[in-house]
Order: sequence, then structure tokens, then C-alpha cells
Amino acid sequence: MGKISAPKSNREFIEACVKSGDAVRIQQEVDWDNEAGAIVRRVCELGEAAPFMENIKDYPGFSYFGAPLSTYRRMAIALGMDPSSTLPQIGAEYLKRTNSEPIAPVIIDKRDAPCKENILLGDDVDLCKLPVPLVHDGDGGRYVGTWHGVITKHPVRGDVNWGMYRQMMWDGRTMSGAVFPFSDLGKTLTDYYLPRGEGCPFATAIGLSPLAAMAACAPSPIPEPELTGMLSGEPVRLVKCETNDLEVPADAEIIIEGMILPDYKVEEGPFGEYTGYRTSPRDFRVTFRVDAITYRNNATMTISNMGVPQDEGQLLRSFSLGLELEKLLKSQGIPVTGVYMHPRSTHHMMIVGVKPTYAGIAMQIAQLAFGSKLGPWFHMVMVVDDQTDIFNWDEVYHAFCTRCNPERGIHVFKNTTGTALYPHATPHDRKYSIGSQVLFDCLWPVDWDKTNDVPTVVSFKNVYTKDIQEKVLNNWADYGFRGRK
Amino acid sequence: MANQWEVFVMDLGELAEGKELELTIRTLNPGIHKYTYQRVKAEVSGTLDKFADRLQVRMGRGQLSDRKFSIRVIEQVQRMPARYL
Ligand SMILES: Cc1cc2nc3c(=O)[nH]c(=O)nc-3n(C[C@H](O)[C@H](O)[C@H](O)COP(=O)(O)O)c2cc1C
Ligand SMILES: [Mn+2]
Repeated sequence: MGKISAPKSNREFIEACVKSGDAVRIQQEVDWDNEAGAIVRRVCELGEAAPFMENIKDYPGFSYFGAPLSTYRRMAIALGMDPSSTLPQIGAEYLKRTNSEPIAPVIIDKRDAPCKENILLGDDVDLCKLPVPLVHDGDGGRYVGTWHGVITKHPVRGDVNWGMYRQMMWDGRTMSGAVFPFSDLGKTLTDYYLPRGEGCPFATAIGLSPLAAMAACAPSPIPEPELTGMLSGEPVRLVKCETNDLEVPADAEIIIEGMILPDYKVEEGPFGEYTGYRTSPRDFRVTFRVDAITYRNNATMTISNMGVPQDEGQLLRSFSLGLELEKLLKSQGIPVTGVYMHPRSTHHMMIVGVKPTYAGIAMQIAQLAFGSKLGPWFHMVMVVDDQTDIFNWDEVYHAFCTRCNPERGIHVFKNTTGTALYPHATPHDRKYSIGSQVLFDCLWPVDWDKTNDVPTVVSFKNVYTKDIQEKVLNNWADYGFRGRK
Repeated sequence: MANQWEVFVMDLGELAEGKELELTIRTLNPGIHKYTYQRVKAEVSGTLDKFADRLQVRMGRGQLSDRKFSIRVIEQVQRMPARYL
């Protein structure tokens, strides 16, 4: 593998984005109370350059970087690729790097760790000293964690988890968040800490390198510090926390250390979510007590503004959920030609292309997809054949509307795992993460006679001989057509 | 200046008048502590000049209610167990 030269910190990433025209520097004062959020929202809806807001009201010295990865161009820059790389190229690179050998992190000395430039302990700890934004008007609070990693460790198994789980500021020393029971952190809490009534040490890292952020929201079974190393081609630099035994990315902009309380909860939400709605109700959720804050000089807070497409949650989660499913299906020997989620589906529909070589292949795909760790995050699987271009929605939609038999092609899975965020779920199902899912099988049945029963696709490329196609294409301009061939 | 507060409710019936309530409210006073919460004992009234402080209300999904209240915060309530303070 050639040497990867990906940005190693949020700062290097901002610099690269500014240089390529994929970020704009905003020097006029921006208010943390709604204005910054509104800028980021509009950027997402227009697919604009990422805003680097250098002057924040009430918070001299701090800055914001909004919508860090809401375009494929910025995703390519994050991976150290040409910004104009296509989605299939970016996907192939992700698969190549994440199928390589894990790269373990290295621990560095505190003196060399930028995130230790400022340290707040004891009575100095106050989250209000950070420019925590009110992201959407009407949100239940200012959100500290919108593009970040919550770092924890399973005390017995020892595995480290970096997960992107939203965190709201309740007061200067308390945060609350939606940690779903099926997430890695949710499982560590229910498996170990909650039954023992023990506090779970955590550290929130904000302003991560873009690949560490990508790892923190990727549904990969590989522990995120190693995954970050694989994505960036070199070890992540970690440094010990001030108040617990965890290790945090030394180049992060802001670190918040503390303990997850096992037996006490405060309110969280509502919040603008990736589905494009505020769906999950205000509820008593996982509560984080803060013991220390450390940050770089001139720290930059990263902000994701989730809402209608498209934001980085949709873009990146569609990307990694699709590719992780592709890996899983291939590991089971299923002849898939590709897996794709349109970010505009708010990562709710998995489109799988497969060579339909045996009966029930679509059902096997759906069972693996819904039954895997990825399953709670989408409720629709659409299976099309290898002749259908999964990246071309016109083709997929045509296959769906014409080949999916209402009686035999639609299979509903009941009583599965869902999330509190599903807009279509009942309030009861949201509360208990109860889900339901559906397979749209758009394959021709294997027991149809291929010659006489399976309909022929009537398209230019399918029904005419090569000779006729070539003749028509060569004469296209001569016929008088001006558009593309 | 009088304080500005905000509360989230599912139903306006949660804001009964003429009795002491326990509420989770957040401050809307300008400054770096805006939107931080506290748990309080308080009395509310639909009559705006009954108490000095103002209370605005949001519903379950953040919708701002057009009903406005005045509020008297009697005292702060500490729900968090002392061992975590
Ligand atoms: C912006 C953003 C916010 C997210 N918020 C949450 C959240 O609040 N709770 C949650 O369980 N997952 C959330 N996720 C999804 C997790 O980041 C995702 O499942 C990730 O893979 C963590 O996985 P793990 O639990 O397998 O480590 C969010 C993702 C993004 C991109
Ligand atoms: Mn994980």
C-alpha cells in the first residue's frame, strides 16, 4: 500500500479544506446561540463549503468548524485522496484500508500533547466556558457533542470504544445523552456498570482528526483507535487522562473527562436528528458528570447540524453502514456486486446488488443485514440483480416498482431492534427501541423460465444489437441532436 | 432585571396555578450560562404581572407555546445524590 497522507488533526483538515475551496473562513462575529447552527444547517442543505467560524460571541479565542464531512469531496480530503474522487473510488479505498492489518495507537508524553495546553480541574470546571452551541432553535439544550467521540473501556474485556453519542449540556458539570442499549457503550453499561452500581469513567473528545471522527461513527467491529490507524496509515497518538485511566487522542481540540452515573439520570432532548425531524422525546437518559476539561490554545469545536439531507451523519453513516454490510455479506460467500445507501434515505434503505444464483438469496441477505450489529440503523433492505446499477436511483426505483411482487417480494420482520429516532415508529416502540423491518425483493424468481417467463428490459443498451447502437451513437449529431450522446 | 426562564412540558396542564410545583427550568438570561438547567420549587401564573420573573413554554418536540407565564422560584432542589456533587 502506498503511503497515505491524510490530515492528522482537525487543524490540518481545516487547512486542506480551505486550500481546496471546501471550507470558508468566517471572520465576522457569529453567535453561538442559533446563528452558528443556522449557518451549518444551510451549508448542509446547499452542499456548500464547510464554515470555519473564527470569532464567536462571548468566547474569544475559540472557533467552530461546521459540517466537517457533509460532502464526498471533504470525505476524500479526509482520506488524503483527490477531492474529485468518485464515491465508488472512495468506497474502494475505505474497504482496502479497513481490510488491512490493525495499527495500534501509541501513548505520548503529556508535555507533547496539544490537548493538555489548558487544564480545568475542581471548581474551575464549567462547560459554559466552552462555546457549546444551541444548534437548532427549540432543542432541549446546548449540545456539547455533535461531532466527537465518547471514549470508554470495558473493565473486564479491556476493549476501548470511541462512539459518537450525542451529549447535551444540562448544567456546567452535567451532560446527558442518547446512548442506545444496542450500541457498544450501551452494552458495556448494561453488561458491567449498571448491575454493579459503579460509575463508568468516560472522556469526550471534540475536534478529532476527521478519520478518528469517521471511526467513531462507523459501525465496524474493529476497536476505533486501531480503525483510525488503519484509515490513516499510521498510529494514533494518545495521552493519559487527568482524572481517570482512559487515553484520549492527543491532537483533539477539547477533552471532557468524567464519570457516567449508574443510578441517576437527568432530562435529555428533544434534538434535531439525522432523520430530518425532532422525533425522540425528551426523556431521562444516560448522565455524565464532568471532572475535568482540557483544551488546546485557540480550540476549535466541531459542529454537526443534523436535519434534512444532507449532513455528515447521513453521508458518512450511509457510506460506512453500506460498506460494512458489503464486508459481512462477502464474508458469508454471498455473490454481492455492491451495497449502497443513498444519504438522502437518511440511512434507512440498504440497496444490495447480487447475482441471483439460488432461491432465497434476498431473504438470506435481509436476515444477515437485519440480524447484524448494523441492523437497528435501517429498516429497509432492497435487493436488486447484478444488472441493476445500485448507484443509479432511476434504475433501482424502476426495478423496485416493476419487479417487487406485492405478495411474494415484500417481507416484514416484526419485533426487531429499532431506535427512539424512527419517525414512523409508535411512541411506545421508540421508548423501548422496538423495531420492525422490511425486505423488498426485486429479483426475478429463480423458478421462472429465464427465456420465456422473465421479462426483457426494454432499454437502448439492452434490446439493440451492438451494431445498431454504434451506428446510432455515431450518427447522433448528424441526426441533429445537440445534447450528450 | 427580572429573570427569563423556559420549561419543557408535554401538556400545559403540568403548569397548574395556585400551588407549589417542582419543575426543571432553564435560564434564558443572556450570557454564557444561558440554557443551563436547574430543578426548582416554584409557583407559576398565567397572569403576567403576578410574579416578577417570566416563564416561556416549549412542548414535547421543542415547539414554542404562545401561552406565557410569570413565575416565582421558591428554591432550588438538588435531585443529584450528594456523592456525585
Ligand atoms: C452525528 C451523529 C450522532 C450520533 N448520535 C448517536 C447517539 O446519540 N446515540 C447512539 O447510540 N448513536 C449515535 N450515533 C450513531 C453512532 O455513532 C454509531 O452507531 C457508531 O457506529 C457508534 O457505534 P458503536 O456503538 O458500535 O461503537 C450518531 C452518529 C452520528 C454521525
Ligand atoms: Mn464501537
